[in-house]
Amino acid sequence: MQFNGLSLEQAPPISAPLRFYLSAPLFAILAGILMLLSDVSALQSRYSIDSIVITHTITIGFMSFVMLGSLTQMLPVLAGVKMYRVDLVTKISHIAMVLGTLFMIVGLKFEVALLNAFAMLLLGSGFLAMIVVIFMAIKKVKNFTPTVTGMSLSLVFALFSVLMGIFLLFSYIDPDASIYRNIVANTHSVWAIFGFAGILIVGVTFQVLPMFYVAPKFKDFYQKRVVLFISISLILWMITSLFFQSYAVAAKLWIVLFFASFAIVFLLKIKNRKRKVSDITLLYYKTSSIFLALGSLFWIGDEFYLSQHIVVTSIFIGGFILSIMIGMLYKIVPFLIWFHLNAMGYMNIPTMNEMIDKKLALIQFILFVGSLLGFIFSYYLEAYLSLFSMAFIISMVILQYNIITAVLIYKRVKKTKPDFDMSAFA
Amino acid sequence: MSSIKEYLTQDHSRCDGYFATMEENASKSLSDAKESYEEFAKATERHFQMEERVMFVEFETKTGMTEGPTAMMRHEHAQMRSLIKQMGEALEADNKDKFFGLSETLMILMQQHNMKEEQMLYTMAQQHLSAEAPRVVDMMESMIVE
Repeated sequence: MQFNGLSLEQAPPISAPLRFYLSAPLFAILAGILMLLSDVSALQSRYSIDSIVITHTITIGFMSFVMLGSLTQMLPVLAGVKMYRVDLVTKISHIAMVLGTLFMIVGLKFEVALLNAFAMLLLGSGFLAMIVVIFMAIKKVKNFTPTVTGMSLSLVFALFSVLMGIFLLFSYIDPDASIYRNIVANTHSVWAIFGFAGILIVGVTFQVLPMFYVAPKFKDFYQKRVVLFISISLILWMITSLFFQSYAVAAKLWIVLFFASFAIVFLLKIKNRKRKVSDITLLYYKTSSIFLALGSLFWIGDEFYLSQHIVVTSIFIGGFILSIMIGMLYKIVPFLIWFHLNAMGYMNIPTMNEMIDKKLALIQFILFVGSLLGFIFSYYLEAYLSLFSMAFIISMVILQYNIITAVLIYKRVKKTKPDFDMSAFA
Repeated sequence: MSSIKEYLTQDHSRCDGYFATMEENASKSLSDAKESYEEFAKATERHFQMEERVMFVEFETKTGMTEGPTAMMRHEHAQMRSLIKQMGEALEADNKDKFFGLSETLMILMQQHNMKEEQMLYTMAQQHLSAEAPRVVDMMESMIVE
């Protein structure tokens, strides 16, 4: 039915998004530790095993986890549909993906074919199970808003990125496949970052930013077309970079234009919001759009240097995605806790501001942004990498602490007796 | 004449505007925010009642769905009324942290609620009540808040 998402009991159990949110910072901490342990010069090449391992600890372990966790929560609210057996599917996928990511890290780093094979199986099934179930839910959507279109297109790119990822892992098991590795890796990385993550972020921002900050809405034309244009440009980019290399830069320019324009529009909307309050999320949103604008420009500018500085582009674009996600976590986690406790009949719940220590969140933000800028700095001055890796690790430890504190409040309140018996509403 | 969907959607943004003004005043000083809090609370209460006493009733009569989406929306209205009341208490007690904690919670709850209404319930209402739409909007417009 159309109004599935209307009822409270249709909301996914709080554990569905939380399990993904709780493990995400752990992977970021692990990525920081791996940076400390890696040979610095190896990190300057995007094709070194150390770079690949660290990148995926972040892109799968943090970014994909946050995106999939958020989709379980957003589908009922933004699209009005519910995922099939959401509790069971998220539980199994989450375990498969945690193990898969860990196996992949060890398998690639120490060249253990058996672990890579397990990683292929676990990551493939974990991702695909989530993607299929989300697609099944989207099929039921009656009212296709630009945000739902964004979600669906993003998932198409997710699907292809995962399939290519499985092949890439396979190329480390079977040397015959390794000749195609770099070609596939190119499309895999651009589609995963700009397609899966980028489009999802753009689509969700259309709805979330005007909502939470009473900001001016994005123009109808922009909302309806931009996601489609980005998708077409990503496909064109793949075709040109495979078959007509000399034209690939034109497609790349197109991708960059859309994302850079989005970054600017995003900043303008924030500036013109009616709700003048500023909070940690907003700070992260602003930072995120600046990282995106810089990253897009750097990516295209680097064409002149034959993509020698691709690592710097990756840090900027990674900074864009991580910033917007962390900002969102600071809002969504305390709200979900409030929402679920309230639905259970608790009236005296700590408010959202009491669940997360503002000062600690700010320290976390400063350390995080500082470490990213530091990574760029260390790309040129290697000696500083370990210092900034430490800053990154500490910022992620604080993020983990902030999320856990909120979850502990949930557990603590849940142990007490509700103020009202809510069974009448069930 | 605007449709039910347009009319109530516009009213959502009107309430959002009051909310933003209230918060802006409160960030300066809580005692300055009392008037804009009253304005926001009044506009929101009027919106709730336009739905609960007019539109929901018409919708329920027409479709026979009394336990469906409207019941859930009424329940969320109750949640929001409680938060708005607590915000008033925080204003009286001059407790800024409490006030902003509650307003943040209210904002997200309110927006999720509005989104469900605008995307689903209002669309359904407009479909089922298209013939009566002008009358329903008139009734909401002229309703006196209890």
